[in-house]
Amino acid sequence: MAELMPSDSRRCTYFFLYDGSKVKGEGDPTRQGICYFYPEETSLDKQELLCGQLAGVGRCVSELSFSPVRILRLRRNKFAIRMKDDFFWALGCSVEVPTVSVCELLDQLINLFCFYNGSVRRSYQLNSRGALAARWAQYLSHLQSGCSELHYIFSCLKTLDSTNVDPLLLLKAALILQACQRCPLVLAGCILFRGRVVSTQMSPQLTMKVMVQENETYNKAQRLNGERTSSPFGGDVCYTTVYLTMSELQFLQSVPADKDFSSHSTPHKDTPPTRTRLSRTLSDMSESENSDPGCSQSYLKVSFSPHLSDCSVFSPSTSQSTGDPASPPPQLLESSLSNGNPSDEAEELEEEEEALEVSYYHSFNSNEGGGGQKHQEGDNSVSEESPRLNGGREDGDAAGGAAFDFRGAECGHEGASRGGSPQDHKAEMSGPSPSSSSFDKSEDSPLIPMMLYLHRVKGLVLALLAEPHFLSDSSSMEEVYHSSLASLNGLEAHLRNVSPVVPGAPGPYVFAHFDCIQSTLTANLSGRPGGAPERPFVRATSLLHSHFYNTETLQEAIIRSAGAAVYGTRSVAQETYFQQHGGSVRNSGIPNHQDSAFSLPSKARHRLLKHGVNLL
Amino acid sequence: MTTKTSLLKVILLGDGGVGKSSIMNRYVTNKFDAHLFHTIGVEFLNKELEVDGHQVTLQIWDTAGQERFRSLRTPFYRGSDCCLLTFSVDDSQSFLNLGNWKKEFIYYADVKEPEKFPFVVLGNKLDVTERQVSSEEAQQWCQENGDYPYYETSAKDATNVAVAFEEAVRRVLAMDERTDHLIPTDTVKLHRKPRSAGACCS
Repeated sequence: MAELMPSDSRRCTYFFLYDGSKVKGEGDPTRQGICYFYPEETSLDKQELLCGQLAGVGRCVSELSFSPVRILRLRRNKFAIRMKDDFFWALGCSVEVPTVSVCELLDQLINLFCFYNGSVRRSYQLNSRGALAARWAQYLSHLQSGCSELHYIFSCLKTLDSTNVDPLLLLKAALILQACQRCPLVLAGCILFRGRVVSTQMSPQLTMKVMVQENETYNKAQRLNGERTSSPFGGDVCYTTVYLTMSELQFLQSVPADKDFSSHSTPHKDTPPTRTRLSRTLSDMSESENSDPGCSQSYLKVSFSPHLSDCSVFSPSTSQSTGDPASPPPQLLESSLSNGNPSDEAEELEEEEEALEVSYYHSFNSNEGGGGQKHQEGDNSVSEESPRLNGGREDGDAAGGAAFDFRGAECGHEGASRGGSPQDHKAEMSGPSPSSSSFDKSEDSPLIPMMLYLHRVKGLVLALLAEPHFLSDSSSMEEVYHSSLASLNGLEAHLRNVSPVVPGAPGPYVFAHFDCIQSTLTANLSGRPGGAPERPFVRATSLLHSHFYNTETLQEAIIRSAGAAVYGTRSVAQETYFQQHGGSVRNSGIPNHQDSAFSLPSKARHRLLKHGVNLL
Repeated sequence: MTTKTSLLKVILLGDGGVGKSSIMNRYVTNKFDAHLFHTIGVEFLNKELEVDGHQVTLQIWDTAGQERFRSLRTPFYRGSDCCLLTFSVDDSQSFLNLGNWKKEFIYYADVKEPEKFPFVVLGNKLDVTERQVSSEEAQQWCQENGDYPYYETSAKDATNVAVAFEEAVRRVLAMDERTDHLIPTDTVKLHRKPRSAGACCS
C-alpha cells in the first residue's frame, strides 16, 4: 500500500463495506463479503487483503476489549471503523487528517446511505450490489466534492455568504419555510441556492443529508442513467422517500414551529407536567410498548455508541452482538426508551404500529416538556391518520386538483401514491413484504420513512421533509406548491442578482471560525486548493481542532513554528483559529514577553470583531 | 409548440397592504389567503393566456409596498411591459400615493416615453363596504394622468381581476403591433433583467 494517494487531492483513500455474513465457512472467499470497495479500480486481491486484515483485526480487538473499534492505523493510513451486525465499514485517510474528521466522515457516509435507502441490511436484500455501489460512490463523492480543506476538517455546512446578502432575503427564505409548515404534514424544510444553505429549519446534519439529493437533481441533466433520475421527476418538483432516525425526528418535532396555523383542531391532551421524564416515557408507552419484546433491550444498544448520538442506526446491532452490557447511564436509558420502540416499524400489525406511533409522539412531548404541540393528534385521531403506514392509501381527492400542474411530475406523484414501482425504493414506504419481516426484526433499526419534497427554481431549491402521505394528499401538496412558488421565483431572482464578492488581496491575517451549533464556517481564506501560504494555517488548524476534540478542558492554544504562530480558542459553541501575517519573527528560542505569539489572542479579539466573531 | 408566444412582464405597484399579492394569487391560482405576510422584495408567477388570438405568457411581478423594501424591489422594474398601479378603495392614502408610485416606476424602469407607457389602475378591495375613495375620484385621476384604464377589483371575491389583466395585455399588444416582439417560445429569455441590470451599471 505504498502507492496511496496523497491526501491533498482526495480526502478518502479507501472505503469499503464488508458483509461478514457472506463469509462464514472456511472455503468462502473474502471477496464474497465485499459489498463495496473504493477506489473501485483496486484489484480484487488487494481488496481482499485489506478487507480481510482490517475486519479481522477489528473483530479481534473489539472482542478482546469488549468495546467497539473506532480507529485503526495501517502504514500511512488511518481507518475509521464501524461495525454493525455482520457489517464492517472502514474508511481510510492519510494519517495527517484528524482522527475526529475521519470518524465523522465515515459516520456521515453511513448516515447518508441510511437516510436515502433505509437500513443497510434491507437495502442489500432489495437491491443489487451494483446499484448500491453506485450510491456509495455518489455519497462518497458528494462528501468530498468542492469543499475547501477547512470544510473537511470541520465537516461543516456550505452556507450562503450572509455578509454579501441583504438580511431581508434571509428573512424571506425563512418565511417561505414557515409558510410551508402551515401544512401540517410538513415537518421542516430548508432552502438552498447553488449548493449552499440559505435557510434551514433542520439540524445541520440533516441539512447536509438533504443537500445530496439537491445536488443530485441539479446534476441530473448530465447523468443519463441511475435509478432516481429515470423516475418521472421531469418537472420542477420531485420527491423521494428518506429515512429519519428517531433522534432526528425528535429534533424536528421538538422545534417550536408555529403549528397554530396547522394544528388539527383536536384540543391538547393534558399531561401532568410534573412527572419525571423517565417515568412519563415509560407510562406513555405502556399500552403498546409492553407487547414489544425488543423494547426492553433497546437502551443497551444505544449505550454502546454514545458518540454516535445522531445515528441510532448503529445502536441496535451492538447489543445483539455483544450480549449483556453494564448498566447504562440514565439519560441513555431514557433516550433509547423513547427512541427504541418504533424499531419494528414496518412489519408489525398496523394497529400495533399505530399504537406505537401514538406512544412515541407522546414521549417526544414528554421529553421536551414543551406543552405538547404534538398532542393535537390526540389518542383517537392518530389511528385514522397514522402518517407513515397509510402512505400508499388511496386518496379520493387526488384527482380533484384540476388546476394543479406539476409539469411532468404528476405521473410520479400518481405512481408513488400507489405504493411505488418495484425498481423504485419508495416501495419500502408502503410497508415491506411479510417475507422481510423476520430479517428486519433482527435488524431492528429505528428508521422512520418520511418524504423528501424538492421544488427547484433554477439554482434555488426548496426541500421539505414531510409525512409520507403528503405524497398522496394532492391538495396539501398543491397548497404547498402554490403558496411557495411566487416567493421562490422572487427569491431566486434576488439571489441570482447578488453580485459575487470579489476576493480582495490577502489581508494581514487569516482566520477560521467554526460555529459548532450551526455547523457553519466563516473564514477569510482564499479557498483556492493548494494555496501555499495558507497551508501552514490549515495544518495548524487541523491539529488544534484535534487537540480540542481530544482534550475537553483545553480552551486556548498556540501552535508555532519558527516562522508562524496560529492561535486557537474554543468554547462550547465555537472554535476560532487565527494567524497574523508579517510582523517580526521573534518566535524562535525560549518564549519571552516580547514573543509576538503572545499578542495573538488580543489581536484575534480585535481583528475578528469586524467579522462578527466575538472572542471577548 | 409552433404557435408564437410572447412573454409580457407586468408589474404590480402600490402601497403595502392594498392587495397586490392577493390580486396576483387570485388571478394565477384562483386562491385567496387572508393571512398573507408582507411581500419581501419581489415575487412573480407566470400565467399563460390568449387575448384576441395572441398567445401570451404573462409574467406577473408582485412587489413589496413598504418603503423599507424599496431597494429590494426597484431593480426589478426594468423591462416591464405594463405597470398596474394599485390602491385600495378603503384607504385614501394609498390612492393619493399613486402618483408617487408612477414616478418611482418611471424613474427606476427607465421608461423612455412615459406618456406612452401603458399603465392600468386598479382599485382593489371592492368587497369592503367602507369606501374612502369614490369611483369618480379614481376615474378622474386616471383621465388626468394619461387616460389610463381603471378597474375596481376584489381579489377576495375575484371581481374584475382577470378582466384587468386581460386589459393590461391588450394595452401592451396595442402598443407594439410590430411582430418583432413576438418571439418563438423556445427562444424566449425569461429573465431579461440581468442583462438590463448589467447595462444600467456599466
